[in-house]
Amino acid sequence: MAGRPTARRRGIPAGYIFLLPWFLGFFGLTLGPALASLALSFTNYDLIGTPGWVGLANYVRILTADSKVAESVRVTLLYVALSVPFKLGFALAIAMILNRGIAGLPLYRALFYLPSLLGASVAIATLWRTVFSGDGLLNKVLLQFGIHGPSWVSDPDTAIYTLVALSVWQFGSPMIIFLAGLRQLPRDIYEAASLDGATPWYQFWRITTPLLTPVIFFNLVVQTIDAFKAFTPAFIISGGTGGPINATLFYTLYLYQEAFGYLRMGYAAALAWLLVIAIAGVTALAFLSARRWVHYEA
Amino acid sequence: MKPSWPRSLLAHAVLCAASLVMLYPLLWMLASSFRPNSDIFTSISLWPDPFAPGAYRRGWSGLQVSFGTFFNNSLVIAVLAVIGNVTTCSLTAFAVTRLRFRGRDVFFALMLGTMMVPYQVTLIPQYILFLHLDWVNTALPLVVPKFLAVDAFFIFLLAQFFRGIPRELDEAAVMDGCSAWRIYWNIALPLALPALGTAAIFTFIFTWDDFFGPLVYLNDIETFTVQLGLRGFLDSSGTSDWGAMFAMAVLTLLPVLAFFLFFQRTLIQGIATTGLK
Repeated sequence: MAGRPTARRRGIPAGYIFLLPWFLGFFGLTLGPALASLALSFTNYDLIGTPGWVGLANYVRILTADSKVAESVRVTLLYVALSVPFKLGFALAIAMILNRGIAGLPLYRALFYLPSLLGASVAIATLWRTVFSGDGLLNKVLLQFGIHGPSWVSDPDTAIYTLVALSVWQFGSPMIIFLAGLRQLPRDIYEAASLDGATPWYQFWRITTPLLTPVIFFNLVVQTIDAFKAFTPAFIISGGTGGPINATLFYTLYLYQEAFGYLRMGYAAALAWLLVIAIAGVTALAFLSARRWVHYEA
Repeated sequence: MKPSWPRSLLAHAVLCAASLVMLYPLLWMLASSFRPNSDIFTSISLWPDPFAPGAYRRGWSGLQVSFGTFFNNSLVIAVLAVIGNVTTCSLTAFAVTRLRFRGRDVFFALMLGTMMVPYQVTLIPQYILFLHLDWVNTALPLVVPKFLAVDAFFIFLLAQFFRGIPRELDEAAVMDGCSAWRIYWNIALPLALPALGTAAIFTFIFTWDDFFGPLVYLNDIETFTVQLGLRGFLDSSGTSDWGAMFAMAVLTLLPVLAFFLFFQRTLIQGIATTGLK
């Protein structure tokens, strides 16, 4: 009879009543709309007329004929491939330093975390845009060292790196998860290893890293999915255009332009479904590869 | 394993340098918001001299609608989102962890599944739905979903907490003839206050910072949130009153900073245990 509260005597189990809001939300705002967008992706719906069936035409055009899709995929993949490793690298390095029993840990931890908390806001994106502009803060600082920097945000070769920097700047939250993971590692292994004369470098690669792989894996998956979905920084830094010359045209930004700029709802729905498939594919790959490199303690 | 002092000195040097580099742009923005416009792009110092707080007044009424309206709109949306998330996510989490009924585990799996789905995939039909309900340019599209437990992450966070409450408490309450509702209200919720607090704070911050939702649903300047208002400064680039823009940027960050200062421990624990942002 463990935990079997009443209500079931009266017909409808209490659980269903408790779940009523969620049922409404799940069917009305999640599952229903997801299926509707799948259906829309086979139409040319433009919000005004009635949707006309076009079969696979949207998908064919996305995959073969739309050069902006190709560019946005390139920009997005470059962003994911650069921002995630650097962010996690910084997070792990700083977490390792903080985990050495250093004085003032709570203060450092808080200071490093602050950017993660503020980074999603428009305020920080506008700050970034001014810091990396031609006469912005970064170039003023570089000038002190006699370096003349370019206009980072308006140069198509460098614009994407300002977005990568903004993402890496927010390494605080994975750092906190790494710190929590490092705390759990058994101390006695390190003591035994030190007695056996293992160098700190050896200990890092042979003990810490393997034991920490579940946490690394978690951070990797979460940050990768987040990076695929990033939108606000690119929108603010490029003024909504994805420029200069599409250099910051994230896939999500292109989707937004198609849907709400040109009202090509059917086409945008197809873009959204391809994004889902891409994210699911990357996640599945990560889980498959995890068998080879993630060590869960028996 | 305390490090020796030269090593710990080195560690402090690295950490201090890193914090300084990271926080410098933030402090520079704060300083710039108190500078005359002519100084903003010439000074890299963190001390505004001469001190000119006029940007705050110019920014507050710099667009055709006062920034006070934007603050008001943002506050209403964020507070309603907190109420919605805390009530419906806790009801849902309580049901899937403490009650028994057919299909419970399937529902919980579906909730976890929705955490993986990017919002883009429901965006367009939701927009069409809200457009037909005539909810565009109101707060409803941003608030009503929170009352339907769509933020699965908070269900997950609260479920983790409810699981930790000893079963004996429920059983004793059932013996005493308590209904499921009474157990939820009188036993589970009071015990879960720390987790509810975490959910409330994160909901407030995420809603306050949200840009995409308001961008899609709010077009009338009277309904703008602070994030949209701030973007208004960038768009009216003809004026280029950077001081006013920085001043308003600082103001929009203040609520989040306040939460950070007062609830730093709660926030950090919330991330460490759930992997939230």
